Parts: sequence; C-alpha cells; structure tokens
Amino acid sequence: MAKLEPYSPTPAARAGRIVMTVMPFAMGLACVLLAFVPLGRVVGSPLTPAFPLMAIYYWAVVKPEMFPPVAVLAVGLMFDLISGGAIGLWALVYVVTYAVVISQRMLLVNAPFSAFWIGFLATAVFAGSLAWVIVSIIHGIFVPPGSVARHMAVTVAVFPIFAMLFGRIQTRVLQGG
Amino acid sequence: MDPNRSTLPFREFSHRISLVFMLTLAAALLLLGRAETYVFDRARQVVTDLAAPLLEVASRPVAATRRVIERTDEYAYVFDENERLRAENARLLAWKEEAQKLQAKLARYEALLNVQIDPAINYASGRVVSDSGGPFVDTVLVNVGAEKGAKSGQAVVDTDGIIGRLVSTGPKASRVLLLTDLNSRVPVVIEPAHYKAVLAGDNTKWPKLEYLASQSAISPGDRVVTSGDGGLIPPGLPVGLVIQTSSGELRVQTFSDRGRLDFVRVLQYEFPSKVKRQDPPEVLDGPAEGEGAETGEAAPAAPAAQAARE
Repeated sequence: MAKLEPYSPTPAARAGRIVMTVMPFAMGLACVLLAFVPLGRVVGSPLTPAFPLMAIYYWAVVKPEMFPPVAVLAVGLMFDLISGGAIGLWALVYVVTYAVVISQRMLLVNAPFSAFWIGFLATAVFAGSLAWVIVSIIHGIFVPPGSVARHMAVTVAVFPIFAMLFGRIQTRVLQGG
Repeated sequence: MDPNRSTLPFREFSHRISLVFMLTLAAALLLLGRAETYVFDRARQVVTDLAAPLLEVASRPVAATRRVIERTDEYAYVFDENERLRAENARLLAWKEEAQKLQAKLARYEALLNVQIDPAINYASGRVVSDSGGPFVDTVLVNVGAEKGAKSGQAVVDTDGIIGRLVSTGPKASRVLLLTDLNSRVPVVIEPAHYKAVLAGDNTKWPKLEYLASQSAISPGDRVVTSGDGGLIPPGLPVGLVIQTSSGELRVQTFSDRGRLDFVRVLQYEFPSKVKRQDPPEVLDGPAEGEGAETGEAAPAAPAAQAARE
C-alpha cells in the first residue's frame, strides 16, 4: 500500500490563504481611506458616507471570524487618527456596534436582502446615536444632531451598492479561493 | 469525532474575551485621548502624512469629474452668463475708478500720518486632498506641510475668503480646522459699523457670532471680515455675510463653500510685533540740579525720601 506524503501547502496556496485572511480587514482600511476622499464634491456636497460602518456590518454578519474585534478597533482607530476628531471615538462606537450586530447575527445571516438592509438601518441609527451622545458628553454641550443624521442617511442609502460589491468580492476571492 | 467540534466553544470563548478586551481598550483610548498626549499627536501626524499622498491620488479623479460637470453646466448657460458678466463688468469699471481715487487719497493720508504699513504676506499654495470624514469634525487635509513653511495657527484662504486655520502640521501635509467646526473661534469685525465679535463654529452650516456687544446694531447683509486680534490671522480677510435664520438668530454665511474646496493658500503671516525695545533706566534721574546732576550722578530716590522724613 502506497504511503501518503504529509500535506504541505505550496507557496501560492499559502499566499492565497494569507490574502483570504487579510482581505476583509484590508477592505475595512480601504473603506477608511475612501471615507476621506471628497466624493461629495462631485455633486457639490460635503457629505460622505460612513464606509467603514458598511464593511464592519457586512463582515460581522457574513463572516465574523474573518473580521475579528481587533480589526474593528484598528479600523476605528485609523479613522480617528485621520479625521482629527477625538481619539477612540469611532474605535469605541464601531466595537460596540460590532458587538451588538454579532449578538443579533442569527436574525440576519440567512435573511433576504431587505431584512439585511433594515438591519443596517438599525445599526446606523444605533452607531450615529451612540457617537452623538459621546461627542455631546465630551464637549459638554448639545451638539446639533442634523449633521450625523444626514451622514447616516446617506450611508444607509448607498449601502446596497457596497453590499453588492462586498458580496462579489466574497464570492470571487474568498469562496473561489 | 469531528476535531473541529471540540475547538468551536473555545473559539467562541476567545472571540468573546477578545471583544471585551477591545471594548475596554477603546474606552481607555477615548479617555486617554482627551489628555491630548504627545504620543497621540505624533501618531496622528504620522498617519496623516502617510495618508495624504494616497488621498491626493484618489481625489484627482473626483476633482476632474467635478470640473467636467461644472463646464457642462457653464456651457448650458453660456449666453445668459455672458450677458450677466457684461453688466457686472460695466459696474466694476465704475467701482475701479472710485477705488483708484480712494487709494490715492488713502496713500496721501497715510504719508501725512506716517502710518506703519502692514508687511506683505507670503503664502504657500496647495490643494485640499481629503474630506472631513465624519459628522462631528469639520477639518480637511491640505498638501502643504512644514517643508513649505506651514505652521500651526496660520490662516488658510481660497478664492472666496478665509476657510479656516491650520491646527496640526506634518512635513508634507497639514490639517485645516474649518470655520464651521465646533472648536473653531476666529476674531472678526462686522462692517461697516466695525463691531467686534468672535465667529464660533457649532458643526452647523452657519457659524455663530459670539461676544457681540449688546448695543451693536448689525443687520442681515453686513459684511464680516477678520479683525486680526490676537495676531494669528491677518486683518481684513473676507469671512462672509450676516444672515438671519428662521428662528431670528443672526449667523454668518461664509463666502467659501465647503462643498467646493479645491485650491487654497496658506498665509504665512507674521504679526508685526518687532517694536524697538526701550528698557527703562535702572535708576531714575532727578531734575538736573547742581554738581551731581552735571556729572551724571543721581542720589537714589529711596534714601533721599528717607532723609526727608527724618
């Protein structure tokens, strides 16, 4: 009887595995950078959607093991460092939101897209409200909520486009690999 | 038995532990960040400098698309715009005559009064490479850094007027705190009556006017310019117009449009504070009397007073 050789992955397979592991986190970081690209200026508006929130919600529901809490913290912290706002604000908001989404994951994981979108609406409302409360406490004043409300409304409106994009990447790269 | 089954609870447990740890770490960062330590400022500058070139590359197609859209709009209204510009040109020519007369008159008065003329302001030009990136912060990154002479506190203007001031500077990029930000405070003057106030951002589209004297009679349409108080921002930079909101509150509509920021100038203004130093004499001389005064020797004031009392 022929003796089986122990399995040793080829360098290409190893590289592929690394890419698959790092891909969701890299997309989270890309979303952070995208949030600072002045896309709104094309239509003469300063509004830019919260792209990192979309990535965190999508991967928390679809593949949480590929987007661990440390990646969520890193994405939030990176956002805080580039934005010039309070350090730790979006890091905390994103980690708390991630924890909430993970706790409700079973409701959303195999649900139709409309339910997935409504779930994101609830997530955006939660994240926006939490951030608004923290900022109001930090500054000790009632910060006008209009700005965060518009920001989250735009985020929810463009979410389907990015969910589709993440879905394509997941199908082509992660599952295909 | 499936070996994965035994590892599943452990994986879930470690995931939960990790989540609790990250929550604690994020809360600690939020509290520590309030202290504005050197480490966070340094980290912010490093990340900003690394991100600025990437954002600059990414913002180019956006700027190009914007220009294409603007051009298309302009073509659609080219005839109307031409008529409007002709009328405006005729009006401005009359103003030019008036301005030249006033300039000559002002130069004569300044010569008569020996007025100290403000020094010319150097500037560095650059582009806005990022958006504010959040609903609670109105800041943008510009690709002008310390290498081009940018320093914290310097005013930043675009073609319409002041947009804000630099709050942190790296070697290649700097962060601009816009007038609308919650932390922005700029001393201004409301023309024509010259009332002084502080323009305070509150994260809304129109900043407020604070510390305005109660008897000041300003009205919608009055022009707001920088006052130069504090010596950080040059005086006379256009800021905006006074408007009245639906609630009756007076606010300022800035001339610069946040949605269209592109090319900007960082003004390297040095407050003219180099006044010739005049140290008081160590010993005050009394009136010139007798021999002592002639030789420049003066009795100390205190012993003289003491002798008078005795």
